Amino acid sequence: MDAAFLIASAVKVLIVFGFVLVGVPLIVWMERKVIGHMQDRIGPQRVGPFGLLQTIADGIKLFFKEDLIPAQADRAVFILAPALPVITAFLALSVIPFGDTVEVFGRQVRLQVTDVNVAVLWILATTSMGVYGIVLGGWASNSKYPLLGGLRSSAQMISYELAQGISLVSVILMTGTLSLASIVKQQQTMWFIVPQFFAFVIYILCGIAETNRAPFDLAEAETELVAGFHTEFSSMKFALYFLAEYANMMVVSGIAISVFFGGWQGPFLPPVVWFLIKLSLFLFFYVWLRATFPRLRYDQLMAFGWKVLLPASLLNLTVTAVVVALSGAR
Amino acid sequence: MTEAILFALFSVSAIVFAFNVVFRKNPVHCALFLVCVLLSLSGMFILLNAAFIAAIQILIYAGAIMVLFLFVVMLLNVKGETPLLTPGAAKGFGFFFALIAFAELLWTVLTRGGAEGTPEQAVVLPPGFGSPAEIGRILYTTWLFPFEVTSILLLIAVIGAVVLAKRKFL
Repeated sequence: MDAAFLIASAVKVLIVFGFVLVGVPLIVWMERKVIGHMQDRIGPQRVGPFGLLQTIADGIKLFFKEDLIPAQADRAVFILAPALPVITAFLALSVIPFGDTVEVFGRQVRLQVTDVNVAVLWILATTSMGVYGIVLGGWASNSKYPLLGGLRSSAQMISYELAQGISLVSVILMTGTLSLASIVKQQQTMWFIVPQFFAFVIYILCGIAETNRAPFDLAEAETELVAGFHTEFSSMKFALYFLAEYANMMVVSGIAISVFFGGWQGPFLPPVVWFLIKLSLFLFFYVWLRATFPRLRYDQLMAFGWKVLLPASLLNLTVTAVVVALSGAR
Repeated sequence: MTEAILFALFSVSAIVFAFNVVFRKNPVHCALFLVCVLLSLSGMFILLNAAFIAAIQILIYAGAIMVLFLFVVMLLNVKGETPLLTPGAAKGFGFFFALIAFAELLWTVLTRGGAEGTPEQAVVLPPGFGSPAEIGRILYTTWLFPFEVTSILLLIAVIGAVVLAKRKFL
């Protein structure tokens, strides 16, 4: 472990960190603008050109708001809870490759914070830890609507994690590796969305449910639960939840790109640009969904997860396993 | 050296968290400290060249099972002040089981661990040790029978849960 390796890693960590912190306000701006136009409004336009600085202004406002902790809340857990989903989102982002190896000062540097050889499992593990932020946030508030929101989301996330994991397993069966860098490399001739279309559909549905985004945003259903798990959170604690939601959207999109859409690979343009283009398209898709679909009912959501997605992912896995075994690839 | 520092870090934190699991009054806090214990243990697994086991440990135990634990604790809304067992009985049971576990560990260390664990006889790891492929291979060859027995056990638990849940609606 030499100094150059440490410096390179630190720089990569800072790049990813900075990218998320700069990217999230842009995504929020994009979301408000796109939804505005989809609903025949113009969206934010006052602060900065095209309203670009609107989310920065919102961030500053949140920063200066009073930080309230309810008297009956569990103080330690209440303070800890908003940080958890942010931490897990950054941990998951650390294994997503955003480019090929490049040469910097005569050294080969991989454009990925670290290439763990169990990267896919690592991502599933960190996203499963992200549930705690929401569950604990709901519980620590010591208030009924946040608790209901927290309970809902814990049930929802556990249910959808299963199908999500299994849909990724079918790709792993084809590639024979858990490392995201080599999964990306194996898609040089064909993106895995072609042979694994169903796995992708299942994955992205579960991914939306995992990030608690519309139409699966039952945890913060404002018509029933005030604001769900984050009702009692104000100021930067609320901002952290907000940041985590968008960072997790990046994580889910990043995995989808790496596993199903050839990662950073693409013709003509440099790899990092391709990664960013694909990421933007995915984030646009998220926003598009939110503007299109109404929220599901809670029982429909659970039934859909357990009775449709899970059997479908198992069926897809079985078919993949049979095909892989018959073709004698491994 | 790095390894020794990390080992100390993970083992000490695991022990401290474990004490908190036992001594905290609030069941939700206990569950959270148990999550911390599991995370420290997965750090130890990584030090043992078992990254796969470490990831599975976080994914299954810390990420899924403990969330369900928390879910149940929150739903039942167990009050921190009312212990399940009377203090005397709880202490008796706890002491009894702790004694058994300690005797077991002591026996293992004295009979087997002592000779093999010395640094001079450090074991050379076979290639692919701890990798998912290798674990899968021995799970389906050497340890096939225990593996299948475990899966049947889990299946029984699933069926049991379905039967218990269905009874209400019959």
